[in-house]
Amino acid sequence: MNEQNRWERVSGDAGEAERIYRRSRTFLGDVWFRFTHKPTALFGFILVVLLLAFCLIGPVFTPYTYSEQNNKLASIPPLLKVYPGPAEGSNLYITQGLKLIEVDDEGHLIRQLKKKKDDSKAKQTSFTWDDDTLVYLDYSRLPNTVLDRDGNRIETAKTVWNRTYLLGTDQLGRDILTRLMYGTRISLMVAFIAALVNMIIGITYGGIAGYLGGRTDSVMMRIVDIISTIPLTLYVILIKMCLDDGLLSIIIALSSVYWVDMARVVRGEVLSLKNQEFVLAAKTIGSSTKTILFSHLIPNAMGPILVTVTMLIPSAIFMEAFMSFIGIGIAPPMASLGTMCNDATETLRTNPYQLFLPALVICIIMFAFNFVGDGLRDALDPKLKK
Amino acid sequence: MKENNTPMLQVQHLTKHFPAGSHKLVHAVDDVSFSIERGKTLGLVGESGCGKSSCARTVIRIYEPTSGKIFLDGADISALTQKQLLPFRRKMQMIFQDPYASLNARMTVHDIVAEPLRAHNICATRQEEHEMVREMLERVGLNQEHANRYAHEFSGGQRQRVGIARALILRPELVICDEPISALDVSIQAQVVNMLRHFQEELNLTYLFIAHDLSMVRYVSDDVGVMYLGQLVEKCAADEIYAHPLHPYTVGLLSSIPVPNPRLAKEKDGSGLEGDLPSPIDPPSGCRFHTRCPFATERCREEAPAWQEAAPGHFVACHRING
Amino acid sequence: MEPVLQVKDLKTSFLTSSGEVQAVRGVSFSVNKGESVGIVGESGSGKSVTSLSVMQLLTGTGKIVGGSVKLNGRELVGIGTKEMRSIRGKEVAMIFQDPMTSLNPLLPVGEQVSEMLWAHEKDLSRADREARVAELFRMVRIPEAEKRLKSYPHEFSGGMRQRVMIAMALACKPDLLIADEPTTALDVSIQDQILKLMRSIQREIGMSIMFITHDLGVVAELCNRVIVMYGGLIMEQADILDLFEHPCHPYTMGLLASIPDINQDKQKRLQPIMGSPPDMIHPPKGCPFSPRCPYACRVCLEELPPIYTAGEGHVSRCWLLDADAPAADNPLSYAKGGKRG
Repeated sequence: MNEQNRWERVSGDAGEAERIYRRSRTFLGDVWFRFTHKPTALFGFILVVLLLAFCLIGPVFTPYTYSEQNNKLASIPPLLKVYPGPAEGSNLYITQGLKLIEVDDEGHLIRQLKKKKDDSKAKQTSFTWDDDTLVYLDYSRLPNTVLDRDGNRIETAKTVWNRTYLLGTDQLGRDILTRLMYGTRISLMVAFIAALVNMIIGITYGGIAGYLGGRTDSVMMRIVDIISTIPLTLYVILIKMCLDDGLLSIIIALSSVYWVDMARVVRGEVLSLKNQEFVLAAKTIGSSTKTILFSHLIPNAMGPILVTVTMLIPSAIFMEAFMSFIGIGIAPPMASLGTMCNDATETLRTNPYQLFLPALVICIIMFAFNFVGDGLRDALDPKLKK
Repeated sequence: MKENNTPMLQVQHLTKHFPAGSHKLVHAVDDVSFSIERGKTLGLVGESGCGKSSCARTVIRIYEPTSGKIFLDGADISALTQKQLLPFRRKMQMIFQDPYASLNARMTVHDIVAEPLRAHNICATRQEEHEMVREMLERVGLNQEHANRYAHEFSGGQRQRVGIARALILRPELVICDEPISALDVSIQAQVVNMLRHFQEELNLTYLFIAHDLSMVRYVSDDVGVMYLGQLVEKCAADEIYAHPLHPYTVGLLSSIPVPNPRLAKEKDGSGLEGDLPSPIDPPSGCRFHTRCPFATERCREEAPAWQEAAPGHFVACHRING
Repeated sequence: MEPVLQVKDLKTSFLTSSGEVQAVRGVSFSVNKGESVGIVGESGSGKSVTSLSVMQLLTGTGKIVGGSVKLNGRELVGIGTKEMRSIRGKEVAMIFQDPMTSLNPLLPVGEQVSEMLWAHEKDLSRADREARVAELFRMVRIPEAEKRLKSYPHEFSGGMRQRVMIAMALACKPDLLIADEPTTALDVSIQDQILKLMRSIQREIGMSIMFITHDLGVVAELCNRVIVMYGGLIMEQADILDLFEHPCHPYTMGLLASIPDINQDKQKRLQPIMGSPPDMIHPPKGCPFSPRCPYACRVCLEELPPIYTAGEGHVSRCWLLDADAPAADNPLSYAKGGKRG
């Protein structure tokens, strides 16, 4: 612009006045943008991805299986308190069963020493180190310890990380880490299948009840009421009696009951949405019921639906764990977070890590899904974007 | 265009009651009759709750009429099932009030405008559909760039134009405009009104134009009907109603309109309507307006006034008007 | 005399996922004692945000980023929440567009107004308060005031609820009443009643009113002075008669031309303002109205116009008022050559 054309008339450009400057995003792109810009949601999402990697890829890298037992190495914790052994770079770990295990400096379990003689008077046990060396375990007073060459108690122990079983072993000598992987796998599988089945049944059922309304709605919702009054445990027990498969019976039980919540949510949403003007508009246009239900009502109810699903996932995981915990779920030796917790309660006082680890994983799963659900709810509501 | 004398829309003794709990009824529309000639506009005016929107929605059969007849281009559509109605839906379309609630937030503008085409299987190919939507959007002043956006990115006026595009893409003959401008800013209202008038001239559309006040209606209507508590109280040519309003309610409505002239406004006082609309569940006896009418007499309280022609083409239901 | 409200260079922004929305971009005005000022603008013009900024009621990501708001000489920007709460209701009160969401549905309306009184005047006895509330209800012309004190909000119609809101706002006799589109959600007949009520109340107790609306017709009925806002800026500010009879901004002219006049000939078409209001994430570089203005010059697109004085108490932000602006086809040539101020 210069002084001459400063006052030149420019006709109002209609296109300019109609232009939308905001960057256009597809709906999913928009949701993704808002989802990833919420730290807790992103954190939850990353956790879910890590959990999936943990339970799907993890077993490839572990040398153990979930059922492989090693009674000699039962209840070995992840952190080992070790005493110096007779040889350079060797350490000794005393198990709860008063046995000695040779551990190297890095924390690998080398072998279990052979017991030679137990002197119950002196409260000492001798173990064969090699052909000409004996090691003595002193259990005359706590803490139990090893005697050095001169027969003195070694009071100073050092702590090394268990490199052979990173998270230790349970009381049957199974690797806890491996079992956690399989347990998580079961939990997530139960959760996803239950969520999927619930979504399909719940959306269809609730959508039809809400859309048709009137008497159909009343009848359908009374059925829902009846289903939801029967306790879930009863279902599982009954189904298990018929099927004899813990996992399948849990999945069937969860799928057949949990959808009632979803159906209620969808019905409520559809009831309130169906009198909105855009639905009336679709009716005046002559759109089919299918179009109205699946391209107008359900997509607009997607926010509450996804929130219900993500709240349902942790609840299903918890339910599975609970069922397995009380012993009517997954059958041993298959690992489930619930059965692992159950097994650990017996030795809770001596081996608290056996309960703590699966409980921690349950917590992480719950947190991750709750964060994701929360983030999704915010991200799915374009009305919040202003 | 076929030349005939059948009115585009004829409504006879239309009644719509909604159940309102324990054996009570909301008298939303009570015995309303009118007709609209092809290419003309009838403005339907009244306060919220007077039944004008229910009337519109019953005419377009979103609501089932309780009784009465609706003739679309001579064909009785009041008793058809939704399936039988489908071919008639192409002939009548509706523009809604709330530009925010009337567009699905999960669909792009293209999909919204294309929905009628898809519902009636009009386009054989995607290409054809695309072309029709593009052309329609251009006519309401939106371009291809707008088509791929979601409704929530638009301003109120732009959304309402999307609503107009959706209603007109099927080339209907009757368009029911349910308060299409009430939710818009004043400057945008004029845009939409002018656009509707433009399309009427170009496509020879017939409008049933619902509004809650009389000011804008003047610019679109040939005839104006005034509704009160589910009943028509006055109906005549648009200019006539502004020049010689007969029913006290119409007079009150007219004087309620803000005068955009500060010199006149300060003088105005005293006139206008007192009180609120009574409940349509239990409407007043006799003339339903008697509770707010400054001229109400004993007769008004007891006897419902007849619908009579006070002057040629000027109908009114009021005891003060005799023949 | 010191004005009741003085706003200087107020700037308010909202942070959204798409960027910063500059809702108010430097607004200065004042409201004198006993005056009623109308703020007119389309949705998105920043008129409501201005009033919320004055009340310190911005929610979410909204933030005052600059300027000052002085009420009775006291600075409100940056004031503590507690202190502001004691000012709100007592010195400045606000009524909103939707009276249903502003009332608690679980409490009788009389109780809610009484609560407002109690919050600011603790020494009033219960009976005194009840008497005051009944008096307020009579003042806002609620029929059978004493009986309706015990009613719940859902038993009232929209117009009656708005009356209750006005009664609540008037409870502590504030110096300034901010009315944010109080009649937009109401029918014309009820709007007319409410406007009459506000006019007579103002005559009776002489408080100042800041009336926010998108309808110039409503302003004509109630206000002494008008501020026209667009794109977060004040476009024109003038005495009511002056504005209607000598508008000095193409936007104001457009607004006036788009109001339907029931006394006008039908065949004459309305003159709408074409286009849509600007997106405040990307406000136009020059005059915000320039993309829609039929008289836009090159300079309008490039530079924000300064404020010109077009007459006594009449200012306008339009390049056409510049002394150098071409005279030909200039609708504002009669007021041209005003001082840049």
